[in-house]
Amino acid sequence: MPAYKLTYFNARGRAEPIRLLFAAAGIKYEDVRIEGADWPALKPKTPMGYLPILEVDGATLCESTAIARFVAKRAGLVGKDDLQQAKADMIVDGMKDILKKLILMVLEKDEIKKEELKTDISEKTLPEFLSKYENLANPSGFFAGDSLSWADVDFYNLIERVRAMFPGDHLKGKPNLVKVMANVKANPGIAKWVKERPESAF
Amino acid sequence: MPSYKLTYFKHWGRAGVLRLLFAAGGIEFEDVRIERDQWPELKPKTPMGQIPILEVDGTIICQTKAIGRFIAKEAGLAGKTPLEAAQADMIVDGLSDLQVKIVDFFIEKDAKKKQEKIKEFAEKTFPVFLDTYEKLASSSGHFVGDALTWADVDFFSLMFFLKDHLPNDPLKGYVNLSKVRDNVTSNPGIAAWMEKETSH
Repeated sequence: MPAYKLTYFNARGRAEPIRLLFAAAGIKYEDVRIEGADWPALKPKTPMGYLPILEVDGATLCESTAIARFVAKRAGLVGKDDLQQAKADMIVDGMKDILKKLILMVLEKDEIKKEELKTDISEKTLPEFLSKYENLANPSGFFAGDSLSWADVDFYNLIERVRAMFPGDHLKGKPNLVKVMANVKANPGIAKWVKERPESAF
Repeated sequence: MPSYKLTYFKHWGRAGVLRLLFAAGGIEFEDVRIERDQWPELKPKTPMGQIPILEVDGTIICQTKAIGRFIAKEAGLAGKTPLEAAQADMIVDGLSDLQVKIVDFFIEKDAKKKQEKIKEFAEKTFPVFLDTYEKLASSSGHFVGDALTWADVDFFSLMFFLKDHLPNDPLKGYVNLSKVRDNVTSNPGIAAWMEKETSH
């Protein structure tokens, strides 16, 4: 059984989907969280100069989505055939735009601009995104095929991040998405991890 | 044999690499290229309001990389093991990170800002990227293992897209990356496709 070593900051951030997938499948891994001060020394040792990285089988992987897909494959959560896997991939990639806007909003220092970005997200980007994704999830609450995949887990993680920044019942009137969230939360490994994971600011 | 129908605009843009992957794999596909004024009618019929889209026996896939990975699998260009597949994925993801920066200066409307962004890209962002990728490519000109993968094709595709926007050959002095480009362009399917694409 290969050893897995995940390295990131002490945050959920870009590593959390990966941790959720390890938890969903009950796969043991080393969850390394570094201090900001330790990053400059580590940076040149990473493939592309950023985190997270996953060390496995003597190789070092970077890019959180590539790592998540790799772990999802090991966990049997990628989808049953090439087409289902492509569906899961497109669902995950499709969340990048809104994630980017959320990050830009969080990083915006100008308070007025920040409020504008917040309003744009809560009144336009988020509702449009959720409408699209309601149509892409099936009534059983899965994005790819008829069982849990990493696309569902990734969606759950995004919504949790959104709720932390924009309190409210965003999934009202979106029964498919409500089911996706319930399916993910019902996974015992994920439920346990969410309860026991280290606290962090983001 | 499933039916594949790829829909995008006429230019290289985001679908250039997808057409190359079909060509590399010798896979027949319907290469639909729409005019700008056909887009508003098609848009609501797409999963996320964007193209390219790939229809596979009636199922529609969107998101360029998801489509690219799918075609790569059909073409045997997605890596030989799950680890190799992940290594190809990370190379492709790094390329799309760069593409985001390219799109950023591309769509900049303010002429002065645009020039500043292009300067920053050409003098800083792009050389740093190339230095990183030179180390990730092997001396035999592959990003993953010792055979062609879609990571190599995607790299070539982005360099091809950029060549009209940069003054010199950007890969001059980058031995491994030049080899990657050579490996891609000497793939028979790709060579034939590029010949067709670039001759008018």
